[in-house]
Amino acid sequence: MNPTFGSILISVLAGAVQSGTILLLPTLGEVLTERSGVLNLGLEGLMLIGAFFGFLGAMKTGNPYVGLLLGMAAAAVAATIHAFICVTLRGNQTVTGLALTIFGTGLTSFYGDNWVSQRLTTVIQPMAIPGLSRIPFVGPILFSQDLIVYAGYILVALFWFLLFKTKVGVNLRAVGENAKAADAMGVNVVGTRYFWTIVGGALAGAGGAYITCCIHPYWLNGITSGMGWIAVALVVFAMWNPFNALVGAFLFGSIEALQLQLQAAGTYINSALLSMLPYLATFVVIIVATLIVRVRHVGTPKELGIPYAREEK
Amino acid sequence: MEGQEQLMLVMSNITKRFPGIVANDHVNFALRKGEIHTLLGENGAGKSTLMNVLDGIYYPDEGEITIEGKRVDLRSPLDSMKHGIGMIHQHFMLVDSLSVIENVILGLESQGFYIDKKSVAHQIEAIAKKYNFRVDPYAKIWQLSVGEQQRVEIIKTLFKGARILILDEPTAVLTPQESEELFGILREMKSEGKSIIFISHKLNEVMSISDRVTVLRKGQLVGTVDTVSITERELAKMMIGRDVLFRLERKDIEQGREVLKVEDAQAYNDRGIMALNKLNITVHGGEIMGVAGVAGNGQVELAECITGLRHLVSGHVTVEGIDVTNATPCTLASAGVNYIPADRLGVGLVPNLSTVDNAMLRKYKQQPMRRGTFIDYAAACTYADGLIEKFDIAVPLKNAPVKVLSGGNMQKLLLAREIEENPRLLIAEHPTRGLDVGATEFVRKILLEQRDNGVAVLLISEDLDEILMVADRVAVMYEGRIVGIVDAHHVDIAQIGLMMAGAVGAKA
Amino acid sequence: MLRFEKRDKTPIQLRVLVPICSVLLGLLMGSVVMLFAHVNPLRVYGAIVKGAFGSAYTFSETLVIAVPLILMSVGLCLVYRMKFFNIGAKGQYIIGAICGSYLALFGPATMSRPLLLTLMMVLGTLGGALWAIIPALLKVYWNVNEVIVTLLLNYIASYILWFFMYGTWGTRGFPLSKNFALNAQLPRILPPPSRLHIGLFFGLAAAVIIWIIIRKTRFGYETRVLGENERAARYAGINVFKTVIIAAVISGGLAGLAGIAHTSAVLRVLQLEINSDYGYTAIIAAWLAGLDPLVAVGISVLLAALEAGGYQIQIVMRVPFGIVGVIESSILFCLLAGEIVTHYRVILTRRLSTPPGSTPRIGKKCSVALDERARGGA
Repeated sequence: MNPTFGSILISVLAGAVQSGTILLLPTLGEVLTERSGVLNLGLEGLMLIGAFFGFLGAMKTGNPYVGLLLGMAAAAVAATIHAFICVTLRGNQTVTGLALTIFGTGLTSFYGDNWVSQRLTTVIQPMAIPGLSRIPFVGPILFSQDLIVYAGYILVALFWFLLFKTKVGVNLRAVGENAKAADAMGVNVVGTRYFWTIVGGALAGAGGAYITCCIHPYWLNGITSGMGWIAVALVVFAMWNPFNALVGAFLFGSIEALQLQLQAAGTYINSALLSMLPYLATFVVIIVATLIVRVRHVGTPKELGIPYAREEK
Repeated sequence: MEGQEQLMLVMSNITKRFPGIVANDHVNFALRKGEIHTLLGENGAGKSTLMNVLDGIYYPDEGEITIEGKRVDLRSPLDSMKHGIGMIHQHFMLVDSLSVIENVILGLESQGFYIDKKSVAHQIEAIAKKYNFRVDPYAKIWQLSVGEQQRVEIIKTLFKGARILILDEPTAVLTPQESEELFGILREMKSEGKSIIFISHKLNEVMSISDRVTVLRKGQLVGTVDTVSITERELAKMMIGRDVLFRLERKDIEQGREVLKVEDAQAYNDRGIMALNKLNITVHGGEIMGVAGVAGNGQVELAECITGLRHLVSGHVTVEGIDVTNATPCTLASAGVNYIPADRLGVGLVPNLSTVDNAMLRKYKQQPMRRGTFIDYAAACTYADGLIEKFDIAVPLKNAPVKVLSGGNMQKLLLAREIEENPRLLIAEHPTRGLDVGATEFVRKILLEQRDNGVAVLLISEDLDEILMVADRVAVMYEGRIVGIVDAHHVDIAQIGLMMAGAVGAKA
Repeated sequence: MLRFEKRDKTPIQLRVLVPICSVLLGLLMGSVVMLFAHVNPLRVYGAIVKGAFGSAYTFSETLVIAVPLILMSVGLCLVYRMKFFNIGAKGQYIIGAICGSYLALFGPATMSRPLLLTLMMVLGTLGGALWAIIPALLKVYWNVNEVIVTLLLNYIASYILWFFMYGTWGTRGFPLSKNFALNAQLPRILPPPSRLHIGLFFGLAAAVIIWIIIRKTRFGYETRVLGENERAARYAGINVFKTVIIAAVISGGLAGLAGIAHTSAVLRVLQLEINSDYGYTAIIAAWLAGLDPLVAVGISVLLAALEAGGYQIQIVMRVPFGIVGVIESSILFCLLAGEIVTHYRVILTRRLSTPPGSTPRIGKKCSVALDERARGGA
């Protein structure tokens, strides 16, 4: 094998894991939110809020991890608006999610105006895992990353365990599949939906903040450039399963990394077409995934997008 | 007669109001230890509301509840569960995509964070064994039959340590044989000292299973009686408030020619499972063919295939000799096929549109409503007025959404719309479900009237009594096939029961 | 604790009150956001009003923005009634602009102005319609989520525009086409500097036509039935495929028309920034209008005023334009939240406290008495 080709491949794939993590965090959050029966289409807005407040926090404190936490907190607060309108007031979830995206875009470009073109001096740094990072090929790609990437791995396993092996998961799935039955069994439907919508929001915020606190340490209006929407589509691709979310997110991370690499390499392919690639791929994936979900009769939580009201006659 | 310590549960002066109606009006109810106590009443009498109050789903506007002499405040199903109350709803509170184990531990506080599936499975099997039945703890709910699902419900409540079990019309979805098995389980539980509240409106069951009966009518308490000291007829009178007609008058008319013929029909249900298995049925003009069967044996799919709402994989449907297999609803309309679906607001009517919009749903493409690409709304109004007057439908505002109408008036509107098209074939699916006595009688009268006019009527119902009351012949459906057809006038209920359970095949 | 009780019917005043309160609350929420940035909201709102309605010219500029908003929002009123959530007006607008501009830039120079303009408008409309047919087909055949698809198509459309602008349509590497020839410029209707153009009449006509379609025609009735209850629609003999696709074509076509009209009359050049974000504003307009196309005209003008004022405050007061998005989305939040009061009575309840130690009132005696009464009645 040509050593230079090997090293390029490793750096591309390591970049793919980073880009993949940006998508993984919101996708994981949305998997759980949708499992509880709430459709949050506002991921793009929440990621922007996370990205901006993450940047702001990192700027003011000089600590990118504090920034990340602030970004998550801000997005969680914004997700609470969604939960309040959709769960308590039973509003239209599609339109509320859309409003959330417009809100996030507007808010961050309003507050972010003064920060455009400023850069962070300290960013989240990689920390190779001793031992694992020495595994040839796999080590530098998967285990010479930063803490956020590792947190992504852990969350995938944790959420899978939580969903399918614990009482919390049973309650969560029951709420999204049949809220009335869950309610009759004493599960707190409203609380569950609020909780997972807010967790989903925080993770979307983490995805956004990861961009500004690590990968692109500066502020730009609309810096997430549609990744929130790709994450929404990935949830369908993942069939509401955390492990599939990991596969999907890293696959799209690879497309993103490949696209950047090709642009950097100055290939003759038009850069507009290259930039379009992730969206085109998502477009294809959402169609294929929908067809698979339909054939398999699995996946979509039955009461996704349907508000629950107990006392009605 | 009894000491207070023997009373398990006392509900006193329970009042629950909903917008427009008082569902429970100062109702008193007392349950002894180790008794099976039936709550009897017609649809809308307030039985379910009272039990939902007990289960913590509704909170009463007035009144109080004591369990074993202690005052309790039941705010949620969880509160009720903690006090040993377990309710088995008519529509099972099960999550289809979860396994039996997961459904059983759903919402349970006693379980730890991690689910020990093995130990829960053992406990489930132990409970099942105690009452002599079997259930696969690892099966997903959607893989189970209705009877099995009901047992999962029972296990659920027992698992949670229920001492008071409420069963809301548990036999509505069972065959007579399955009902007997259920009664066996209930008697076993009673002998263990559990108290059981049994909600029903079927008098024969009430007489055979219960120790005492409490009768509700229009939200009010009529009284509580010992079963041994009362007859079926007296109970019926308490329930309805007057003597009941057990059989409707019918003219003897000559059977017309063949109207509907379904041959070797095969179709999938929504889950992609074959729901109709080479089904054959013929209905003649001037007859009501009742289709009996336990829910989920393909009745819905049969109706949908005939009305063009579901695709037939193979087989033929003919109406008056014309092939209408997989025809469009338009073709079927001109062939004279009309449909009263079970799901009034889901299929029959458009809840958020007005009475006028709903009245013309099947006619908007025809004269006089049709005016080029436009709709003549004045003509539509006149048409709706005609229906309202002719069928005596109480419509407060013609332009208000139909969802505000009462159940009875919705059904009348639906019936009016379909009858007004002069059907040749009328398919009625659970046409009286959820209606009060008056509306029920009205609907049945209309069906008979149509029959007398020579229309072929296919009546699909889970209520065997209803079928026997109005049908001329009864077809029994099991697993997507007609397993037998019997004359409704000379009928052997046990025979029908066995056929419903798939135990007996067709007899010539 | 909040409790909700279903209403039998919605009082008329609520239908009016909820949107008005939503606007006021939305402005209030916008103020809070501004206060955090040490911006005086009263001055900003004052400047917005002045920037939108201050003079005949500024008002005509407001109307310039209102034109595409009207065209797009009335089309959305139709599809949203059918519960087909097309949020791809932005992409349809862009594709419309590209298709129409193709003729303007590369069409035969000798063609007469009316013919060229007509062809441009038709081609733009067709382009937008084509872009809307894709999600409609995917929806009716395979039930693919139209929200995600239309959104992705927005991004794809943006990159297609980018592709052309940095490619053969740009001039010397700048993402700017050559100016449209006079023949390819949609006429303006007021003396300069006003840029208000005859697209306004397209918009008003579209609103009236869509209103008639919804209220008076069989197709409109079909869309209403389909949006409320698909199974009932099928039983009524409504062709679901045809209805969804025609409605999608109408809404996409109007968005495409908006794109080419705005480009040809206002910008007179194809560039990267062709104000395609109006596609999102139009969604808000349609929703605020309660999906009534005639009301959507008025709402479009109001939102256009907000946008026009937003440009002004950005230039004059250096207040970032993002605040407009904040205000618009806040209004939408309040409206969505407020919808519940039109369906339910909202009741504030306190937890009832139960007096401790109260004894059951029904005991042995009562139960016996009940038994007696029942027997007596039988």
